[in-house]
Amino acid sequence: MGRVVLIFRLVLADVRRHRAQAAMLLLAVTAATATVALGMSLGGASDALYEQTRAATAGPDVVVYAPEMGTPVAPVLNELTRAPGVVGHNGPFRLVFATLTSRGFASLVVVHGAAEKPGAVDRPLVTSGHWVRPGGAVLERGFATALGARVGDRVTISGRTYPVVGIAVTAANSIFPWSSGIGPYGGPSDGGGLVWLTHSDVKALASRDLPLAMAVDLKLSDPAAARAFLDAHRDPSIRVNFATAQFIAEQDSVMLRDSQPILIIGGWLLSFLAVTGVAALAAGRTAEQTRRAGLLKAVGATPGLIAAVLLTEYLVLALLADALGLTVARLVEPAVASPTASRIGNVVGPSGGVIVAATALAVAVAVLSSLRPTLLALRTATVDALTVTAHRPRHRPLLTALSALLPTPLLLGLRLTARRPGRAVLHGCSTAGALITIDALLTFHVQPRWGYAQHRGGWGAGLSGLSNLRDDQNGKLLLSITVMAIVLALVNAITITWSTAMEARANMAVARTLGATPGQITAGLSVAQVLPALPGAVAGVFLGIGLYLTVGRATTLPILSMAGAAISVVLVTAALTAVPARVAARRPVAQALSAEAA
Amino acid sequence: MQDAVLAMLAKEPSHGYHLRARLRQSLGLLGESMNPGQVYVTLARLERAGLVVCERADGLPDRPERKVYALTPAGQERVTAWLAEVSWPKPDLAEFHLKLIAAAAARLADPIELVAAQRRELLRRLAETQRAALAEPAGSRAVLLLEGIVLRLQADLRWLEACERAWSGAAGKTGDEGEPGGRDDDEAEGA
Amino acid sequence: MKVSSAVLRARGLVKQHGHGQGRVRAVDEVDLEVPEGQTLAVMGPSGCGKSTLLHLLGGLERPSAGEVWLAGRRVDTLSERALARLRRRSVGFVFQAFHLMEELSAAENVELPALLAGFSRREARRRAGFLLEQVGLTGRARHLPSQLSGGQRQRVAIARALANEPLVILADEPTGNLDSTATLDVLRIFEELRAAGQTLVMVTHDERVAATADRLISMRDGMFVDDTRLAGDATGWLGGLIGLEG
Repeated sequence: MGRVVLIFRLVLADVRRHRAQAAMLLLAVTAATATVALGMSLGGASDALYEQTRAATAGPDVVVYAPEMGTPVAPVLNELTRAPGVVGHNGPFRLVFATLTSRGFASLVVVHGAAEKPGAVDRPLVTSGHWVRPGGAVLERGFATALGARVGDRVTISGRTYPVVGIAVTAANSIFPWSSGIGPYGGPSDGGGLVWLTHSDVKALASRDLPLAMAVDLKLSDPAAARAFLDAHRDPSIRVNFATAQFIAEQDSVMLRDSQPILIIGGWLLSFLAVTGVAALAAGRTAEQTRRAGLLKAVGATPGLIAAVLLTEYLVLALLADALGLTVARLVEPAVASPTASRIGNVVGPSGGVIVAATALAVAVAVLSSLRPTLLALRTATVDALTVTAHRPRHRPLLTALSALLPTPLLLGLRLTARRPGRAVLHGCSTAGALITIDALLTFHVQPRWGYAQHRGGWGAGLSGLSNLRDDQNGKLLLSITVMAIVLALVNAITITWSTAMEARANMAVARTLGATPGQITAGLSVAQVLPALPGAVAGVFLGIGLYLTVGRATTLPILSMAGAAISVVLVTAALTAVPARVAARRPVAQALSAEAA
Repeated sequence: MQDAVLAMLAKEPSHGYHLRARLRQSLGLLGESMNPGQVYVTLARLERAGLVVCERADGLPDRPERKVYALTPAGQERVTAWLAEVSWPKPDLAEFHLKLIAAAAARLADPIELVAAQRRELLRRLAETQRAALAEPAGSRAVLLLEGIVLRLQADLRWLEACERAWSGAAGKTGDEGEPGGRDDDEAEGA
Repeated sequence: MKVSSAVLRARGLVKQHGHGQGRVRAVDEVDLEVPEGQTLAVMGPSGCGKSTLLHLLGGLERPSAGEVWLAGRRVDTLSERALARLRRRSVGFVFQAFHLMEELSAAENVELPALLAGFSRREARRRAGFLLEQVGLTGRARHLPSQLSGGQRQRVAIARALANEPLVILADEPTGNLDSTATLDVLRIFEELRAAGQTLVMVTHDERVAATADRLISMRDGMFVDDTRLAGDATGWLGGLIGLEG
């Protein structure tokens, strides 16, 4: 018991002394775990929302669509309502493929004929206004949100204007923009919004020579047997499309199909950045930690206790960050999991599996970044640990000889880099990680894309189509991950520069007594950061390209902007590192020298 | 110094010039300033006291030096006694100490000035000795002797420092006990 | 006063640390002239301000008041950059803690000032070889500082200070971390430099080290309290020390 108290006391004291470092560890791990947890939670989220909507709206087990192209299809559909295993139905009702315009926006829509009093199957949930009445239209909520339409607005459907009397959700159709279920003339659908009108209004609309179809919602006695029902009723003589509830839910999840890899790959990149940053921090504190371990050993602590103290500090912070990350993921999940307003219900939050995975990630970050200092502290003999001032850099005759040929700032920079090759690698990795995300964003923005629910021939003057919700969502996610990655990479760069500057200050002070100017010292420190950032940036571009071509299925690569981004990142690194470097170089020489002698 | 010359004969009988060379080697630069005749004067005195005997050796005709000196049993005894002796030169600081007190009491001179002058003199001596030590070839035994002189001078300088501190402190205070530990507080008094 | 032959000159030099009540004058109104070729020792107990004085003279710190002139040029008003350039060519520092770069070999350490001053690698190497020979470390050129004894490290540091043939060498407790043998090694090198006419200012609290200088200034509480010429007027005292009569 006493030992646990001791460990926590030591951990607490150390955290209190290094608040900025603790904050950085917290920030980095929180960002990483939140992103990964969010990405992993999305898989179940879409299904859960569908199920909740289905329960609330008496969603059908199967929806049967049949295009009307001369032959009457109503008898076929009516016959299906009497098929064995069918315990309830809605319809058959008419579908009209039309276009809707409202306040300058235009969209393809499918108009459903609806009973003024819904039956037992498919009872859309009216979320505002009321259900259809003659002359009034009800818009599907996801569509209404994308359109920006509210109850009381007026919409024009293929030339006729209707007031919006209500907004509703249904489980009989996939989320906007995949609400149509079937395309005009039985062809593929370009997507579109869903509008309900009364049967008579639909009949009036149908007379305007628009593509038509019929549909029926079926409730089965055994919902699990939907697939078997489909197979039993396929009729080769007539074109009929079946959509099971499962199919509809799957179509829902298409919305998140790219969000998930973006979040998960992004989460891994953020974890990677967290590891590099925290490892750089830990490495910067190795000397101090080693001395601390030596002190503890000198008063009789066992190696196990020392390892426990060192690791506990990182673990406690990482687990705290894990909890924070999971909370953030839980708070953000509703917005990310349901980018359309087509579904109701709550997301369930991270499942047990997600929590375990995120926690494992946090622990891995803590262990990976503190392992080396811990092992080093354990290995160093007690007396050496007490007297050690700093880990002694290795002699690198070749690099030293090479740098002797260069101008002073490069000479100093190269030698500084050579002092800490591990840190240089970390810095390079951090730069690469940031560039991968930046380039992902750039690549995403140049991909050719077209909006759903768009008219193939264009909308004509004065009208614009609705934006592509899925791309919007992906863009937002990519942007947030890129911002987080940039922030982490910046923090890393500053941390690494600062620890390099602090560590090199005695050497740099000596260089100044030998006649190096503060400008040369600053430039040297900057060069020491730019040197590893440069290959990191190049690697980032190439790794990124590989990632977009394989996972991202990119068809166009913005090579020029990527190169520009790489150059900017290196320049920003140089500018950014110049600040701590300048601060360090500005310190009076005498002060820096006496600090080392002490 | 008679004892030293005697002791040098304990190893084997020796010519006067040989003895002189050995002395010079052991003393280094200090030996350089030795009067050439001094060894012979000392040997003559020792012979008169019956501590050494002079044997005429059949030297070569071209060597004027033909006397070889050897220890008598009395000389042998004296060497043994000398080696066992633990006497040591007395530190003779009382005179300077009294000089300061008398000067202060009679207001004849500023004791601090006296200390400073004395200090300068000792520093010059130290400089001379230190230079002599540096001029010795590597491995010279004489360095050890010079080191001893340097250390004594340093001790004297420290004592002078203590004197200065004491006399520049409370005017009425006498005695050579300076305030210990005063060294590190110096800069605090600067403003 | 006409053109002075002083390499190093200070006038009314003041260095203050802290403010208000806690204000301390580490160097208090000091005037100093060091003629070319002189070796000067500044001696005093620790905390008397002698290290600060040395830092002021070498431009490592800026004075609170007063002037510092090096080779006829006022240096206390120079920018950091100009100061660095001046240091590069004109001043060589030797420190108590050696301050060698741990990851560079002895030769590489000695080459550094020449490289900083813009000499070619070949020239820097030539100088380092020559200087290491001068301080008797030819065989240790490729050793790292950690593989050298304290005395050897200080000799490397002296060689480094000499690399650009400075007008003046400033040494801060050069033997403070050394045993007596190593101290003698360093003093012997200083003696050679003195003979060669190198201007040298060292601060020390060790009388033995100070005694090797031409001139000795004693410092207390930031002020000079004594200024003694040591060289030239040999007392003849040492010779009289040995008398066979006795």
